[in-house]
Amino acid sequence: MNTVGVKRVQHFLTQNAIYVVLIVLIAGIALYDSTFLSFTTFRDILLQSSTRAIIALGAAFILIAGGTDLSSGRVVGLTAVISASMLQTMDYPRRFFPDMPELPLWLPILLAVIAGLIVGLINGVIVAKFNVPPFITTLGTMVIVYGVNSLYFDMKPNESQPIGGLREDFGHLGTGFFGPSGPYSVPYIVVIAIVIAALVWVVFNKTKLGKNMYAIGGNVQAATVSGINVAANLIIIYGIAGALYGMAGVLEAARTGGATNNYGNMYELDAIAACVVGGVSVNGGVGTVPGVLAGVLIFSVINYGLTFIGVSPYWQLIIKGLIIVAAVAFDIRKYVAKK
Amino acid sequence: MKKIVSTTLIAALALSIVGCSSSGGGTQSGAGGGATGGEAAAGLPKIGVAIYKFDDTFMTGVRNAISDAANGKAEVDIVDSQNSQPTQNDKVDLFITKKVNALAINPVDRTAAGVIIDKAKTANIPVVFLNREPMPEDMQKYDKVYYVGAKAEESGTMSGELIVDYWKAHPEADKNKDGVLQYVMLKGEPGHQDAELRTKFSVKAIEDAGIKVEKVAEDTAMWDRVKGQEKMAAFLASSGDKIEAVLANNDDMALGAIEALKAAGYFKDGKYVPVVGVDATAPALKELEAGTLLGTVLNDAKNQGKATLEIAAVLAKGETPTKENTGFDITDGKYVWISYKKITKDNMADAQ
Repeated sequence: MNTVGVKRVQHFLTQNAIYVVLIVLIAGIALYDSTFLSFTTFRDILLQSSTRAIIALGAAFILIAGGTDLSSGRVVGLTAVISASMLQTMDYPRRFFPDMPELPLWLPILLAVIAGLIVGLINGVIVAKFNVPPFITTLGTMVIVYGVNSLYFDMKPNESQPIGGLREDFGHLGTGFFGPSGPYSVPYIVVIAIVIAALVWVVFNKTKLGKNMYAIGGNVQAATVSGINVAANLIIIYGIAGALYGMAGVLEAARTGGATNNYGNMYELDAIAACVVGGVSVNGGVGTVPGVLAGVLIFSVINYGLTFIGVSPYWQLIIKGLIIVAAVAFDIRKYVAKK
Repeated sequence: MKKIVSTTLIAALALSIVGCSSSGGGTQSGAGGGATGGEAAAGLPKIGVAIYKFDDTFMTGVRNAISDAANGKAEVDIVDSQNSQPTQNDKVDLFITKKVNALAINPVDRTAAGVIIDKAKTANIPVVFLNREPMPEDMQKYDKVYYVGAKAEESGTMSGELIVDYWKAHPEADKNKDGVLQYVMLKGEPGHQDAELRTKFSVKAIEDAGIKVEKVAEDTAMWDRVKGQEKMAAFLASSGDKIEAVLANNDDMALGAIEALKAAGYFKDGKYVPVVGVDATAPALKELEAGTLLGTVLNDAKNQGKATLEIAAVLAKGETPTKENTGFDITDGKYVWISYKKITKDNMADAQ
């Protein structure tokens, strides 16, 4: 092979390392157990990636803009509880709001998404207006949101009991699908995630907000000098991320048919891990939607595939950790090499 | 060239994961998994087990009992739901895809069992729930759904009875000779079903035995040893000598209380107050042996695990579980109740 060819291969592998890893992972598992390669397993993996992808896309907004968000998991918990609390069947004996009439399905979902949006906006205001570092800001709101959620969850007559008896139309949102039942079905939740990913792609690549986001994350001074209203953009970015977490929380409740204040615990770290493995730079300014989705898929393949072939959960943790560190080490090498 | 090296390294890492599976699989009995594993164990039904979280001491006992009981009866695949209901649902989907013959599920959130029952029913796979009881209306949704567990109130009743036995055998236990038993209660997490039931039924058991009681203090120590110690120290500071018995919703809090009592000079020179807990944990047994803990109540992990496996194995073969083919009594066609056991210094061996 001539040097140009080698360079090209090098370039291709560097730019697409994440997809290479994903394919190698799937191929490796399939080699070990060929029954892994089936429509059902891929449908399961997509299904399990859906809510995680929505959260990771929210986190990507913030990471690319040069921030970080620890509150996402607790926001998911908050909105899961809010939506579930208002969508119980009329005849359920332990209703959260015993006298609440049957609401149209969209209303509690909208309220939950708005709750997520509000938390996001608060994060944005604290970061942009009070100049508190994003790590600290969202560490604070993470704890506060859990506290607020626990208070709400502990209200009489519920008193910290898991919320169950969810309405069928709500559950259908999380477990229903298009097409024939079985391996060729397309779950609603996957479609929702794809639509959201497409919208986020448009925002990243085709809007002024997207351009500003990359500019702010790349170099905040340069962005300010070039006339970008950094504060306003950051507040909007945190708000959008919050709304995405809100939607994910609603889907988690719909998918499992219940909710407790512990939903979403530690999801923030999964989301950040998926982003960095997917090539979002922890220094801001770099990241793509397909990369984030591949990052999410890698973790889903690990979760699902390694359980599928019977790898001990403790080994799975070690592997996950290694992949996170390796991905960032690789990413930073790429970054250094550029300079 | 270096770039290629690092890319190859990542790829190698990913590949090595698959290699790990052979060593990793060893920690779970029968979880050899995969097509080859399935063929090797031909004839044995496959049972998918999802535990709410692996780092729970009691459920680890149940999990080990399931593995032990599976020997030669079934091929079990035990997975960790990481205390997250969405994760557990994902694992259930995985088991259904792998076409297991039966499911054994220890739900993270009991109200979410309905969705799991729907999934199992659609796939026509029988399901046994353990340790956390699904709602009765969910249990009625499918004929091949069973529950194995203990009645929480029984643990409360038994811890109360331990105090009753001591009180009746030791007249000097009534320190102020007023014929009333003054007690303090260390509660678990408020709102937690076990905490509420144990609190209520332990006192009820004492009253039912014809002993008058007076609550000196009651506070929550969140199942926690450190908090148990802090609360007990506070009780001792406020009403020290009045306390004639300490009831704790679990052993960790009881052990915390014992630490506080020791610091206040108890358990030597004849200064004594009976302390009871629930769970029969290993550290608690040590205190039983030392004579500081009066008694505890064992939630029978061994039999919960064994009953779960026996019933799941019978269901996996397409048969209906009965007393004859499982060895356990089945109530209302769906429930297997495993009794708690009172543990004192005399029968400690039962809990080891």
